[in-house]
Amino acid sequence: MTISRRIFVKSGGIGLFSLGLDPLFLARAVYGAVGPRPISAGPDRPILVCLFQRGAVDGLSMVVPHGDATYYHERPRIAVPRSEVIDLDGHFGLHPRLAPLKPLWEAGSLAVVHAVGSPDPTRSHFDAQDYMETGTPGVKATTDGWANRYCTSAGEHDATPFRAVAFGPQLPRVLAGSAASLAIDDLQAFGLQARRPAARDKLTAAFEALYEGSATGLLAPSAAEGFAAIELLKRADPSGYAPADGAEYPAGRLGRSLLQIAQLIKADVGVELAFADMTGWDTHVNQGAGQGALATRLDELGRGLAAFSRDLGERMRSVVVLTMSEFGRTVRENGNAGTDHGHATAMLVLGGPVRGGKVLGRWPGLDPAARFEGRDLAVTTDFRDLFGELLVRHLGAPDLRPVFPGRDADPTRFPGVLGA
Amino acid sequence: MRATMVGRTGGRPGAAAGVAVALLCAAPAGVGAQGTAARDSAVHALNRLAWGPRPGEADRVAATGVMAWIERQLSPERIPDDWLHARERAFTILHIDPDDLARRFVAARQEQLARRRGDTVAADPPPQPGTEAAALRRLGAETQQLVVVRAVLSERQLYEVLVDFWANHFNVFYAKGADRYLLPAHIEETIRPHALGRFEDLLIATAHSPAMLFYLDNAQSVAPGSQPPIPPRATRRLTAEQREVVAQRMPRGLNENYARELLELHTLGVDGGYTQDDIVNVARILTGWGIERPGQGAGFAFREWAHDRGEKVVLGERFPPGQGMDEGIRLLRMLARHPATMHHVSRKLCARFVADDPPDGCVDAAVAAWRASDGQVGAVVRAIVRTPDFWAPAARRAKVKSPLGFVVSAVRATGAAPDSSLRLAQLVGRLGQPLYLQPAPTGWPEAQADWVNAGALLARMNAAVALAGGRLPGATVDLQAVLPHTTDHAQFVDLVNERLLAGSMTDRTRAVILDQLRDVRDPFQARALAVGLAIGGPEFQRQ
Repeated sequence: MTISRRIFVKSGGIGLFSLGLDPLFLARAVYGAVGPRPISAGPDRPILVCLFQRGAVDGLSMVVPHGDATYYHERPRIAVPRSEVIDLDGHFGLHPRLAPLKPLWEAGSLAVVHAVGSPDPTRSHFDAQDYMETGTPGVKATTDGWANRYCTSAGEHDATPFRAVAFGPQLPRVLAGSAASLAIDDLQAFGLQARRPAARDKLTAAFEALYEGSATGLLAPSAAEGFAAIELLKRADPSGYAPADGAEYPAGRLGRSLLQIAQLIKADVGVELAFADMTGWDTHVNQGAGQGALATRLDELGRGLAAFSRDLGERMRSVVVLTMSEFGRTVRENGNAGTDHGHATAMLVLGGPVRGGKVLGRWPGLDPAARFEGRDLAVTTDFRDLFGELLVRHLGAPDLRPVFPGRDADPTRFPGVLGA
Repeated sequence: MRATMVGRTGGRPGAAAGVAVALLCAAPAGVGAQGTAARDSAVHALNRLAWGPRPGEADRVAATGVMAWIERQLSPERIPDDWLHARERAFTILHIDPDDLARRFVAARQEQLARRRGDTVAADPPPQPGTEAAALRRLGAETQQLVVVRAVLSERQLYEVLVDFWANHFNVFYAKGADRYLLPAHIEETIRPHALGRFEDLLIATAHSPAMLFYLDNAQSVAPGSQPPIPPRATRRLTAEQREVVAQRMPRGLNENYARELLELHTLGVDGGYTQDDIVNVARILTGWGIERPGQGAGFAFREWAHDRGEKVVLGERFPPGQGMDEGIRLLRMLARHPATMHHVSRKLCARFVADDPPDGCVDAAVAAWRASDGQVGAVVRAIVRTPDFWAPAARRAKVKSPLGFVVSAVRATGAAPDSSLRLAQLVGRLGQPLYLQPAPTGWPEAQADWVNAGALLARMNAAVALAGGRLPGATVDLQAVLPHTTDHAQFVDLVNERLLAGSMTDRTRAVILDQLRDVRDPFQARALAVGLAIGGPEFQRQ
């Protein structure tokens, strides 16, 4: 249970005053009577969108070290040819299927952090994803996620049910915990279900009335958050949404998730953190080079991110999108023209606030002596330092200690995606 | 007689007196004295020690006496459960040899990899109907559905509640690699036989459980520097590259994961007074506790070559060198009997049965009973239900149901039954508790703050409306048998209050439901609406 929610439940407005928030506004949010005034702080509220590439993306073929001969030597069948790589800085280049992101790079709103990952050596998807979401590498018993702990530790935020939203049927680990967060599978189906809109409104009103009266504990305020969300969404009119500026999202789950995130952001319902994920990165067999399995996934990713950026347009000035993956893959290709579980990977950071056009992080090189356990790209940026930089410099987190316990928040270790 | 037993051996006059008071003036005092009090106590017991009352069950329990019902529930082997057993016969997963299951999984995985070699799609498509992969996926869903079916249908309700408690205490994440085929045996052969037995036996069984050894990586924890004996013919035909892969996959040293969770979660508790050195020494003691390969049994195996033969010290106790597997058993016995374990696990049981933050009184009583009974789970539960804390007004309806508890109690309350599909388990997952899919070794949380959130509550409301309308996939419901329709709305809402909410309906809820029914002429539609609102409303979320 979070401190802020305790205050919320137990002492209502008094606790809220002490947090420096507008109690009237919160009272409205809590009791569902949302007025015409937008609940958010407006279009300049900083927003962080996280995209989890589940299955461990091959960072070396997503952002190719084409200036390093070892890459080609170790991957005779699956290296992305130099002629196809989209050069970024003479040493690194994007996979050709990420071409839609090149304009963002040129505009300085896309940065890459390479050789980033976890200090924990595990090569288990399950453990590594868990660590990246709980934010406590090596500690299995952490039950909540770093994003949830951020929400509880940074209380200065309007009480909107959409503050932290995940797209998918279930709440991911990164959002698990005591701060309120929502998992939404389909914005249009969110809320009470009934065949006719009139029946749906009636049912909604009935349940709202039932829960308003329930006395103690979290049932009443949580239900009120739900009804406030329904009301806010109605205003956003999810069924009538059309992406702006001709943006075309790719078919599939990623495109759907990104479109709905864009929709929520434009609806000004108070989103601060949004999560989506994408599978199919575990390329043990026939990974391919410029074409093939990995290329197909990168194609969807590149088009999805480009569409999102175009759709949000001017709004991207306060939005940062971060891609993450539990670990990278072996430097050397395996016997099945694929790659096995490795260590460090690459992460993309894009958005208006990003000081982009740079590949950041210390590059350890692919020399066998420089590799982790002699085989994998070594981690030179702890993922918590990248995530921490975004939380502090973008969202304005007051204190990283509760978010990443055990990792000192040392800004000198931040990779610098948002400048110093 | 039992009061003297607990009192004599408790060693704490205060705790013993508390138990005596409970016996004299708690629930049994209500029984017989006033019908309502007896019924309320029966409802409370059925909410906490069972998966919620079925139609008429509270009256039946009140009539026989709630303490007598509890005693009967504490000896589940004496309760016939033919209906459930008939339903269980349809579950293929219960009739498969664990090693066969393991072999089928490994074969399917290899087939999948082989298919991928000729394919460029890296993402696994959903398995085609009729294939082995589809059959295995269904077996997995069966394993989850079995949880719901047993909780709804079993007459041995307290036993099923305790199975849930222990499966959660000794949590295993179903989706981690080999646990896809190892988990069913963990439930059937490790947890269920010991759920009402001795904690020590349960603990030792879980330490042998291949699912646990895989989940918390003990199977790959080896004494540093140890080498597995690989017969030369096994690697002779491998290329240098393949040999390297084999070498890379070999475990290379201690893995402390299981040792840490064994101390922190399974036994002593996070404040149990152990150190990092203790964790390392526990991990060393348990080196060699591993798993047979699929095709060779897929069961427990102690591997002498991997065992650390040196001396170890845990919590100040010396474990002399060269004791092999025996020192692991000695360690587990020591942990099971440690006072910190008694307190930690007793408190967790009280959090389940009494309150999220349980009063000291019931915890002390549970610990005393643990000590007196050498950790018999039944004796500990009996001690808890005999404390005034269990029956206190403050404890009643003080807890919020877990998603599993909500679904099962709703199905039971409406006299519904799970159909042969696997949909109810999916519903429990959508409400936030995908069964056996909690990745953290902590298991699912107990406190309401972890279950109550806007999205989950809306999902519960939708499920309630669907169930009441006969539209919930996975459940067949005949409301007429439980709540015969009537055109008199007030009368009907009173019936809903009595039958579904055990009289807990607030005036406000009553008024809201009546208001909703005002324009509804069709009595069936009115019934569905009233039942949906009652089950989806705040009273029914509590237990």
